[in-house]
Amino acid sequence: MPGSREARIEALRGRIAAIEAGTRTPTPVLPFGDPRIDDRLPGGGLPRAGWHEVVGEGLEGESGASTAAFAALLARPRISKGAVVWVLRRSDLYAPGLVNLGFPVERLVMVRVRDEAEGLSVLEDALATPGVSVAIGEAEAPDLVAGRRLQLACERAGGFGIVLHRRPYGGPARGATGSAAFSRWRVGPAPGRAPPPDSLGGGLGLGPPAWRVALERCRGGRPGAWILEHSEADHGPHPFRVVSELADHDLAQTPPERLRRVG
Amino acid sequence: MAAVDAAARRLGLSAGQKAADALALVPHLVTADHDPDADRRALESLCDWCVRFSPAVAVDGDDGLLLDITGADHLWGGEDAMLADLLQRLERWGVPARGAVADTAGAAWALARFGQGGAVVAPGGQREALARLPVAALRLDEAAQAQLPRLGLHRVGQLYALPRAQMAKRFGLAFTQRLDQALGAAGEALAFRRPASPWFERLAFFEPISAPDDLARVAADVLALICKRLEGEGRGARRFEVVFHRLDGKAFPVPVGLARPGRDARRLAKLVAPKLDVVDPGFGIDVITVHAYAVEALAQGQSRIDAELDAAEALAPLVDRLVNRLGEGRVWRPDPVESHVPERAVARAAPLASPAAARPWNPDLPRPTRLLKRPEPIEVLAKLPDDPPLRFTWRNRHHRVRAAEGPERIGQEWWRGDFDDTGPGRIRDYYRVEDEAGGRFWIYRQGLYGDDASPKWWLHGLFG
Repeated sequence: MPGSREARIEALRGRIAAIEAGTRTPTPVLPFGDPRIDDRLPGGGLPRAGWHEVVGEGLEGESGASTAAFAALLARPRISKGAVVWVLRRSDLYAPGLVNLGFPVERLVMVRVRDEAEGLSVLEDALATPGVSVAIGEAEAPDLVAGRRLQLACERAGGFGIVLHRRPYGGPARGATGSAAFSRWRVGPAPGRAPPPDSLGGGLGLGPPAWRVALERCRGGRPGAWILEHSEADHGPHPFRVVSELADHDLAQTPPERLRRVG
Repeated sequence: MAAVDAAARRLGLSAGQKAADALALVPHLVTADHDPDADRRALESLCDWCVRFSPAVAVDGDDGLLLDITGADHLWGGEDAMLADLLQRLERWGVPARGAVADTAGAAWALARFGQGGAVVAPGGQREALARLPVAALRLDEAAQAQLPRLGLHRVGQLYALPRAQMAKRFGLAFTQRLDQALGAAGEALAFRRPASPWFERLAFFEPISAPDDLARVAADVLALICKRLEGEGRGARRFEVVFHRLDGKAFPVPVGLARPGRDARRLAKLVAPKLDVVDPGFGIDVITVHAYAVEALAQGQSRIDAELDAAEALAPLVDRLVNRLGEGRVWRPDPVESHVPERAVARAAPLASPAAARPWNPDLPRPTRLLKRPEPIEVLAKLPDDPPLRFTWRNRHHRVRAAEGPERIGQEWWRGDFDDTGPGRIRDYYRVEDEAGGRFWIYRQGLYGDDASPKWWLHGLFG
């Protein structure tokens, strides 16, 4: 609702950001190629340098599978040259699975760290290296200082960083608090559509994976929620296709399914 | 009695005596048990200490050390000074030693044991220097050593004139070989404790240093020395070892590895600095040495950071920092391995190694984003015999399967010996299933229905 107080404040913030950006050179952005998302982002896309948080929803906060896949696809168009550094706490990331998503695994460098502080400092080091285009790290919750340092490292070398919120040894991830990230995305699985019928006429098996993605906060942008699908068709720089836009109440967590008796 | 020192010898004791005989000669003799292993260890630690003089040190027999000081003596201002310094230091520690410097290991051995201590033979002068020594100085075997004096041959010099062929016939080839080795006519391979490397630099300090900042500074200085030499010859090295030598002879090596050969002293110093906490300066560090290993040719000129940078060049500093900080096994690049078994399909390669020869992974085979280290058991409700489950329970959560894909049958690699046992129970049928919330799981059934043992279901991975 355009007349609400939040919306007005948000609009003012956007104007302030625009005024501030006027004094600097405008940051180059990479749009998603779909107005339903790009209209919510300042400048019509995510800036090429900066870092973002990806939070898992429900079970995903623990397993980190959807978040990893989403982060890989979000980062993919930015890996033009240079390497990708993926900072892990548990070495369960499976490279052949990333190949399914079209991720250039030959440019991937995996680093396994022992604790949170080490992970964040390795991530910062990677982002500040000119030969690294994207760095993705798994951390519980970077505090404001760590976040600010990540931001400075991104600005220094033009890197693109993603922090996946994940507890290293099971348990749901802690909710993200305020931090210096440019944006925060909450990602969970969504039922995929049936695959398109092939030449045999049968649409058997599973279609492309889909995610329920919510943009929870974004500096100078507006929150929103969508169902996105992995799609390799040509429709913009990102390998995503917007299936539908969600209203906010769709973001409520799905209640855990109770076991029903089977007769 | 295993060994006697000079004072004991004056009392009439000799090595090989029975302890009882010795006690009869010297009633208040203090004896200690002979411990050859400890002697060996002491000699080896002495050998490691000698690295401050030259990187190439070899243990010789039970009581000798051979140092190859080629190209290292100029650091002391000559061989005489170097030898004198070495002997003085040993003397100070109560290690009586005799030393000699010569062109060949054989000649140095002979002079150190049978000549006057501290002899330095001018290059090419070993023939005259050895002539007056007894034949035992030639490191001969027992038989030859016993026979030569019987033939009236007491001095090495007498052997020079004899016909070689007959000597070899009579005393064996080893005899002439020893003679040639001593005179420099035949080469001799020494088993050095560490690979001989001409890439060696050293700094000595008048005042022992102990402040951490100073340690970092001198490490940078000594690295700058060797990097300058490397640059002068158009080379770079992959591994450096900075060794801090303490006043009491303990050495603290600090190794640094590089992903690509390099010679950037500033970068190396940055890699060394965080590791300096292993160095315990104690009373102070008086010598610092550095070796370069794995030296390779490297194109002239250090690269600058600019836009046209080779990707690997730009990444190398980061990889070096991470490997030196976290350790070798924590930074890797996933490489394909041609194996159908999912947990075997990925190998870890060094981040900047050349690409693997194996075929890349097939993007059309569904593989999970996260692969569990160990498959976890799930309880399923499945239709028989070959269908994916209708519902399953994993970690106490129930999932109702909405759609499924499969099976992909992965048999065991029977040609590998390390599998537990063979049989149909080792076949895995993988299914990709999606539950009602949209989560996708990679589950498999191990074994077939209709066998004696009912098959088990496992969850092996999660798709994003």
